[in-house]
Amino acid sequence: MTSSSGKIALGSRRRLKNRKISNFVMLFLTGLLTILALVPLFWIIGYVVYKGGPGLNLAFFTQLPRPVGIAGGGVLHAIEGTLIITMLAAIFAVPPGVLAAFYAARNPNTRLGIGLRFSTDVLAGVPSIVVGLFTYAFLVKPMGHYSGLAGAVALAILMLPTIIRTTEEMLKLVPQSLREGSLALGAPEWKTSMNVLLPAAFNGIMTGILLSLARGMGETAPLLFTALGNERYDIRQIVTSSIQGKQGFFQMVTRIINQPMDSLPLTLWKYASQPYPERVAQSWTVALVLMFFVLFLNIAARLWLENRARKLRG
Amino acid sequence: MIRKTQSFSPDKPGGSLTAEKTIQGIRQIFDHGDLAWRGLLLFAGFLVIVLTVSIGWMLWQSSVDARSLFGWKFFTPTLDSHWDPVNNQFQAWPFIYGTLVTSLVAILLAVPVSLGIAVFLTELCPPWLRTPLNWLVELLAAIPSVVYGLWGLFVFLPLVVAPLGEYLSASLGTFPLLGTWFAGPIPLSGASRLGAGLILSIMITPTIAAVSRDVLQAIPNSQREASLALGSTQWETIWQVLIPYGMSGILGSVILGLGRALGETMAVTMVIGNSTNSAISLLKPGYTMASVIANEFAEAVTKLHSQALLEVGLALFVMTLILNVMARFLVWRVSSKIQQEARG
Amino acid sequence: MRKNLFVIPAILLVASFILSACGANTASPAAGGVSGSNGTASTLQAAGSVEINGAGATFPAPVYTDWAYSYQSVDPSVVINYQGIGSGGGKKAIIDGTVDFAGSDSLLTPEEYASGKDLGMFPTVAGAVVLIYNIPLAKGVANPATPLPVLVFDRQTLVGIYNSTITQWNDPAIVALNPAWKDYLPAADITTVHRSDGSGTTEIFTKALTSFSTDWKAGGAASIEWPKGNNVGGKGNAGVAAAVMSTPNSIGYVEISYAISNKLVFASLINKAGKTVVASNESVQAAMAEGKFSDKLTATIVDGASDGAYPIVGYTYLVLHTSSMTDCVKAQKILEFFKWAETDQNASARAVTLGYSALPDSVKTIVLAKLAEVTCNGVPVLK
Repeated sequence: MTSSSGKIALGSRRRLKNRKISNFVMLFLTGLLTILALVPLFWIIGYVVYKGGPGLNLAFFTQLPRPVGIAGGGVLHAIEGTLIITMLAAIFAVPPGVLAAFYAARNPNTRLGIGLRFSTDVLAGVPSIVVGLFTYAFLVKPMGHYSGLAGAVALAILMLPTIIRTTEEMLKLVPQSLREGSLALGAPEWKTSMNVLLPAAFNGIMTGILLSLARGMGETAPLLFTALGNERYDIRQIVTSSIQGKQGFFQMVTRIINQPMDSLPLTLWKYASQPYPERVAQSWTVALVLMFFVLFLNIAARLWLENRARKLRG
Repeated sequence: MIRKTQSFSPDKPGGSLTAEKTIQGIRQIFDHGDLAWRGLLLFAGFLVIVLTVSIGWMLWQSSVDARSLFGWKFFTPTLDSHWDPVNNQFQAWPFIYGTLVTSLVAILLAVPVSLGIAVFLTELCPPWLRTPLNWLVELLAAIPSVVYGLWGLFVFLPLVVAPLGEYLSASLGTFPLLGTWFAGPIPLSGASRLGAGLILSIMITPTIAAVSRDVLQAIPNSQREASLALGSTQWETIWQVLIPYGMSGILGSVILGLGRALGETMAVTMVIGNSTNSAISLLKPGYTMASVIANEFAEAVTKLHSQALLEVGLALFVMTLILNVMARFLVWRVSSKIQQEARG
Repeated sequence: MRKNLFVIPAILLVASFILSACGANTASPAAGGVSGSNGTASTLQAAGSVEINGAGATFPAPVYTDWAYSYQSVDPSVVINYQGIGSGGGKKAIIDGTVDFAGSDSLLTPEEYASGKDLGMFPTVAGAVVLIYNIPLAKGVANPATPLPVLVFDRQTLVGIYNSTITQWNDPAIVALNPAWKDYLPAADITTVHRSDGSGTTEIFTKALTSFSTDWKAGGAASIEWPKGNNVGGKGNAGVAAAVMSTPNSIGYVEISYAISNKLVFASLINKAGKTVVASNESVQAAMAEGKFSDKLTATIVDGASDGAYPIVGYTYLVLHTSSMTDCVKAQKILEFFKWAETDQNASARAVTLGYSALPDSVKTIVLAKLAEVTCNGVPVLK
């Protein structure tokens, strides 16, 4: 009797030991996997800094590319293009995105509301290259030429779902009492939305916009058939020639946005597939600059949200 | 800000009462501005729907000749496929195969890693480490895909994929059936479906990890406490209680990751080798649907060639559409389950 | 708080202006420079006031960008942007009307002439397509005492390699042609590299293969279905060169200037006359000397019969709408640019330095005469 019960106890103790060991091993493994997943992050950042760092100099930011074989030159055209295209995309995407989010938050269960939410989900999943095809067919071909404008529209389509989703989430978080209070005081609904709901949800919305900007800034595929590329793009030259040509402001803006443009990711992709060693070296520096922009926007967005959350808590 | 309007003085002399009222009504509408506001919201909402529909419609409409000419043969699996712009023969199977097989490799590798991250972040991680870790994982998702491509092409392929592929072809390549997928030799540059799959797995890990982390976080604490109280170890609680509980949500996250892998263009185009050879092996260069569009659309001169590419785009659109609907449904189901139980 | 909404765009805008402001001094050496031969026409226009967009073949992309760069000092009023996206892309773009001019080494088909209405092709330069290879020594083989000579292929062997009937580097056919390589050609599979995009370089190369041997069944066109085998695609001349450089035991075809500017070694070929020729300005000139132009101003000059002719040669063309251009200033600037490129000594010299061959004078005369026939709104563009 005693011996057999002792065996059972021993057996269960051994089993318990095994369970504890497997518990420890598996939990340790999850930590290990987390570290493993972060290895590429540090590897990529480290390598890009190591390879791209030496190419950083003032000329890189302030000059246009030179033909292959002539030393020097920079990627001013791509930096300008990236900033302009991303900014335009934000201008196209933010107002309809925020308004659509207001609609979705206001009418979650109407037929249109459900359709809107569904469309947003579908749009979020559409591959970026397909958006490029769409923009080519709907804008580039009818307009008769490639342009930064078309590129911006393609990016705007990609940014739209992120903006709608985050804005909707944030609007839902605004206490119902705020809205009701404002309406009860006799403020019309648009005023309630603009002056009460929007400010209350502002930080969250801004985070969403910045994140979508960061995503758009790094996209290449939708620009392939829309913005095309332009190594001779130089805003200053366009502006001076417009002024000398006595063109109006509107005409000048048209000239700035309505022609083929380059962007950092597009330049990176073109340079990386060239066999010229100096171009490949430059592509690493382009990667460094691009990563800086994108990660900066990301971190700024998160800090913004984090700060706000801390303020609310405290 | 509140403007005084005439409408608050009803006993104004002159004019018939009904006319006065109508004018007031109209004025109120304009002063109030709500009609315009609602119209604006409605317009924005419609715009998004119209945009989504018109993407699908455009792809459908502009691939009409290719669809009627090739029919289902365009998509069916075959070992002897043709993508021949000279003779206008188009079959998309090699691209579909490339897309599916690279995404599969990506999913198989990314799921365990992502689940590990999600579990570590929600169940184990000390609170002070949680925020920075969350950030780092999300930064991984923020790296532009061309940068992944650049790093993949010059660093990852030769240093990791090529030796790995050589090892795999030496070890697994000799098995009878399995060997077909690991038939070597891998190109020394490392450009192969395996390389593309590995890069994709790195790229989709943050997506899967973030969503399944949210799912795990949403599971009520009572579930954990009950399991621990019954004497389970922490790992048993995670493995036998939490993961089954959030299963459909986790599945949803996996499908979202799959959707991202299917549509990824630049990084894959840079590392997969862009070859239409019909070999099955993972260690050979291949092609994907997205990368064939990126490579050929700008140069597709004949009508049928560009229509065939648009049809590939259509297929890609439909695939991601189905996946997203599925994923949303699964994530929605788990969240409504949690809500119901919280209520009941 | 809502002011914050505008802060970021404002910063971006300001930043981009500052960048361009400090850059412009060095970036555009020609701004404000004295205008050259076209002085009277262009001094009236502000620097950079006419933007011209071209796209197409990657074959002439290095020389076009080089010319565009030098042309700034000739006529500061023009900004010429040429994007090497492939000949197929260039033809599509000019037919769709999305560019002002296109570059192509691939001839327009009758269908394309029909859909493009009034397209005309004008040869600008010629060049050879060369074979580059990457053959590392097998493990355990000592370095040769003297550097190995460049590989030599005959026409039949080349077809065999791209047909995948010759699959190993130490195939007897290759060894027989390259006795010095006997101990160094590895028993390794040959990876053939081709263009993944529609390309005039491919058209020149595959037309040559078609002419070399009846064994080549895939035809000669801008994009073809490659025979099944150990092959890899690269995007653009650049992509092919990059793929060859990163893939051991591979062979690929690129336009010669890419090989030269990269200091890549390229193979010699045995031509129709049975002579071993190196791709060079002379051997390309020899091939051009045989060519006969069609009434469309196009000529196929592969597989020439003369002793000195390199067999894989082609013209690259400027593609223009010859009568339906509506912006006459733009039309004039485009034509002036190409006229300058054909007639200016320095421009021709730069082309030769980059590995291209300038057109023989007889051809230049024909091309210039044809360019003078281009009209805009019914009026000849060039005066």
